[in-house]
Amino acid sequence: MAQTRRDFLKMTAALSAASFVGVQLPLQEQQLAHAKDAEAWHRGTCRLCGVGCRLELGMKDGVPFALRGVADARTNYGFLCMKGMHFWQCLGHKERLKKPLYRAKKSDPFKEISWDKALDIAASQFADAVKKNGPNSVAYYGSGQCLTEETYLFQKIMRGGLQTNNVDGNPRLCMASAVGGYLGSFGADEPIGSYADLEKAHCFFIIGSNTAEAHPVLFRRIMRRKLDNPEVKVINADPRVSQTSRIADKHLQFKPGTDLSLLNAMANVIIEEKLHDQAFLTNYVAFKQGKEGQDASFEEYAKFVAPYTPEAAAKTCGGKITAEDIRQVARWFATSKGTMSLWCMGINQRKQGVWANNLIHNLHILTGQLLKEGADSFSLTGQPNACGGVREAGGLCHILPGHRPVEKEKMRNQVEEAWGVPLGRIPAEPGMHTMSMFTGINEGKIKAIWINCTSPAQSLPNCNLYNKGLATDDCFTICTDIFKTRTTEFANLILPAAFHFEKTGVYGCTERRQQLTRKAVKAPGEAKPEVWIAREWAKRLAAKLNDPVIAQCIKPFEGLEEDFALPQAIWDEYTQKLTKGRDNDLRGVSYAVLARMADGVQWPAPTEEFALTGGTAKKFVKGIDPMADSESKNDLPYQFYGPAHEDRKLWIWLRPQADPSEIPDAEYPFYLSTGRIIDHWHTMSMTGRIPELLRANPHAFVEINPKDAEKLGIKPGDMIEITSRRGTNVLPAKVYEGPIEGTVFAYWHDQEANRMINKVTKDDYDPSAKEPEFKICAVKIKRISGPKPLTPFIVS
Amino acid sequence: MPISGVVITTRPEDLDQTQRFLAACVGVEVHGADDQGNIVAVFDTRTTGEMEHLLKTVNACPLVLHAGITYLNMEDVVDDEGLNSGTFR
Ligand code: SF4
Repeated sequence: MAQTRRDFLKMTAALSAASFVGVQLPLQEQQLAHAKDAEAWHRGTCRLCGVGCRLELGMKDGVPFALRGVADARTNYGFLCMKGMHFWQCLGHKERLKKPLYRAKKSDPFKEISWDKALDIAASQFADAVKKNGPNSVAYYGSGQCLTEETYLFQKIMRGGLQTNNVDGNPRLCMASAVGGYLGSFGADEPIGSYADLEKAHCFFIIGSNTAEAHPVLFRRIMRRKLDNPEVKVINADPRVSQTSRIADKHLQFKPGTDLSLLNAMANVIIEEKLHDQAFLTNYVAFKQGKEGQDASFEEYAKFVAPYTPEAAAKTCGGKITAEDIRQVARWFATSKGTMSLWCMGINQRKQGVWANNLIHNLHILTGQLLKEGADSFSLTGQPNACGGVREAGGLCHILPGHRPVEKEKMRNQVEEAWGVPLGRIPAEPGMHTMSMFTGINEGKIKAIWINCTSPAQSLPNCNLYNKGLATDDCFTICTDIFKTRTTEFANLILPAAFHFEKTGVYGCTERRQQLTRKAVKAPGEAKPEVWIAREWAKRLAAKLNDPVIAQCIKPFEGLEEDFALPQAIWDEYTQKLTKGRDNDLRGVSYAVLARMADGVQWPAPTEEFALTGGTAKKFVKGIDPMADSESKNDLPYQFYGPAHEDRKLWIWLRPQADPSEIPDAEYPFYLSTGRIIDHWHTMSMTGRIPELLRANPHAFVEINPKDAEKLGIKPGDMIEITSRRGTNVLPAKVYEGPIEGTVFAYWHDQEANRMINKVTKDDYDPSAKEPEFKICAVKIKRISGPKPLTPFIVS
Repeated sequence: MPISGVVITTRPEDLDQTQRFLAACVGVEVHGADDQGNIVAVFDTRTTGEMEHLLKTVNACPLVLHAGITYLNMEDVVDDEGLNSGTFR
C-alpha cells in the first residue's frame, strides 16, 4: 500500500516512542528503511537544563528538520521534554544578533561595527582600566551555559594574563551553596553517585525541588521507579505543593526557612531510634562544629540534635506537619535499602544554603545511605554546564581549574607551570564573587566588565540596585550573547555569539558526565564562537599592554580554526595539564573518546581505556572508581580522596536552625518565594522568542493560597501589587492550593519591567557560599484591580 | 504540521480510562500500551503552538503522571510545501 510521507513520519514517531519503553507495535521497522532521507543526524546535548539529555539534531539541506532523543544515553534514555524539544528554534532565529554593536555612551544608539574594531575597543577598554586602576578594576562574569572551553579560556586570560581573579559566573546564584555543602561534608565537590541510582533507590527524599517542572526527564525516571515498585517511598518536602508532589507518599509542607529544623529533627529520630549506621560512622566519619570546624563527637552531635524533637520541629515548621510525619519519613530514610536525596534551588538559594546542604548530607552520612546502589545525596544542577565549566574549569573567583583553591600557593603554582607563565602571576587573593562584583560596579571599582551568555540585569536579586551601576558610563560593559537581553540594554559593546550546534565544545551535567556537541549548523551573520572571540581579544590585549605573558596564554591556540581545532586544543590543555591527579581527572576524556560514546564520560576517568567504559558511576568506591584504588590508604572499601578533607573522612556538621535574612512582620506579612516554570528557561531570552513557549506562558504570575486570597478579597486573575522593601511588581494572581498559607510564589522569567520579580527579591547571601537568598523574602500584597489583558514583553 | 512521538505514563489501574481520554483528544493517535501504564502515542497537529497546547492538555489530565517526548519532526515548519506529496514504499 502506498505510504505518504506523513504516514512515514508518524510511524517513525510511534516506533521511536515504543522503542524506549519496549512496547511492541504492529509496525515493521523495515518499512522505515525505504525512506528517502537525505538526512544527517548530529549528536549533541540539550542546550537547556542541567539534566544533560542527549539528543540528535536532524539536518536536511543545511536546515534543522527534526530532533530525537538518544536511546542509549544514560542521561535520558531517549526522552526529552517540550522545552528541550524547542531550543533548535534559536538556530537561525530572525532576532539573532548578527553583527557587533557599539556605542561609546550608554545613552547613545548602537551602531554596527566590524569585528576588528569591536575587538580593538574591547581590548583598549580593558587595557586602559588595568593601566589606570590596576588588574582588579576589570572583571569577567560568565555562565553555566558557556561551554567548558569558553569558561576555561576566559579565566586563563583573566588570571594568567590580566592578573586578576575577578572571574565569576551565574552558578554563584544557583550552585555555590551546593559546592560549599559538598566540600564541607564530603571534602570534594559534586555528587558521589549518578542518575543510575534512580532506578535502584528504594526511598526518594526530594526537598526544595520541583523536579517535575525543572528536571522533567529525571522526574520521569523517578516516577517510573515508583510506578514499577509501589513499595518505593517518595517524600516531597517543600513549602509549596507542586507537580512533583503527585507521586509523593508524603508531602511535608513547611514554612519557608524552617527546613533546618526538619532535617535536624530527622537526625534526632534516627539517633533516638538507633537507626544510624555505627560501623559506617566508626570507619569513615568525623564530627565538626563552629565556623572553624572544631572537632566534635557523636555524643555531642546527639546532644545537639536532641532539642529538635519531632514535636518541636513540627511546630517550628508551621503546623502542617505532624511529629508522626517526621518520625515516619526519618524511618523510611534510614531503613530503606537505598535512599536518594534530590534537591535544587529551594535549598541552595538561601542565606543558610551551605548549612541546609550539610544537613541533608548529615542524614546520609549518619545512616550510611551513600556509596551503595540507589543511595546518594544528589544535588540537581540547574544549568547545563554549571558543573563542567564553572565549577570544574575555573569559573568561580576562588577556584582554579581542577578544583584548586586559589589561596593555596602550591595550587596556583601548578596552574602557572601548566600555562608556562611566571610563578606568582596568579594573584593569591580570591577575586570578587558575583555580588561583590556588581557592588563593585555600583561603587565605581570595576571599570570594565565582560558579561558572557547571561543576563544579570534581570537575574540578580534586588536587581534595581545593581542596574543603577550598570546603567552608568563608569563601567564599560561588554556582552556576548545570541539575543538582546535586559543586560544588553546596559552594554557598550554587544558581540554576537554562535549558539549550541553552531560551535563545538563540552558540557558537563549534574552527574559529572562530560558530553561533546559538535558544530552542525552555520552561525547566522557574523556570529562567532566565544573561544575565537576570547583568543582574538587576548591577542590585542597583549599588544596594548605590551605584555608577552598575555600572549603566552593564547600561544598554544594561535592559528587554529575555530570550529573544531581551537576548542579541541583548549580542551586538551585543560584536561591533560590541569586535571592530572585531581579528583576530576579527565585525562582519558579526549574529543575522540567523547565522539565514540553515546552519552559521554563521567569523571574521574584517568585513562582512555577506562573512559571508554563510561567512567566513574560512583566516586570513592574501590573497584568502581580508579582513583579510590590509586589513592587508597587502607583496606577499607571507600576512600575519600577529595581535596578539602585532609583526614579523608566525611564530616557531620552540628548546624542549628537559623532564620532567613528577612521574615514577615506587620508591614510585610507574607513570604515570597520564586522559581522556574516548565516552559521557560531563566530570563526567557531564548524561550520567550519561541512562539509556542511564549504563548504557553506569556507572562509571569503569582500563586497565592486560596485562604490568603479569600482574606484579601483576591479572585483568580486579579492584578496584585507585590511589594518588598526593595521594589514592586504587578502580577496577575493564580489562586491555587500550592504555596503554604502566608507564602506567595512568583515566576522569575518575565522581562517586562513591572513583572521582573528580582526587583522584589532580597540580595542578602550565604556568608560562605555568597549565594543570594532568592527563595525567601518578606512582601506585602494588595489587590489593585480585576483581571487585565497583559502583553508579553521581550527586549528587542 | 509537526509530529511527535510521545510516551504517556499513567498508573496501570488508570490505563483504560487514560486511553479513553486520549482517544477524545484531537491530534492524538494511540499506537500501543503496556501493562505498566506506558502508552505510545503520536501527536499530529497543525502548528507547533497546537502541539504545545496538546501536550499541556494531556499533562494537565489528573490521570496522566508524565508525558515524555522522544521524537519531534518539524520539517514542514521549515518547508510546508509538498509534505504529503511524496509517496514512499
Ligand atoms: S530535561 Fe533539561 S536537558 Fe532534558 S530535554 Fe528538558 S530541558 Fe533539555
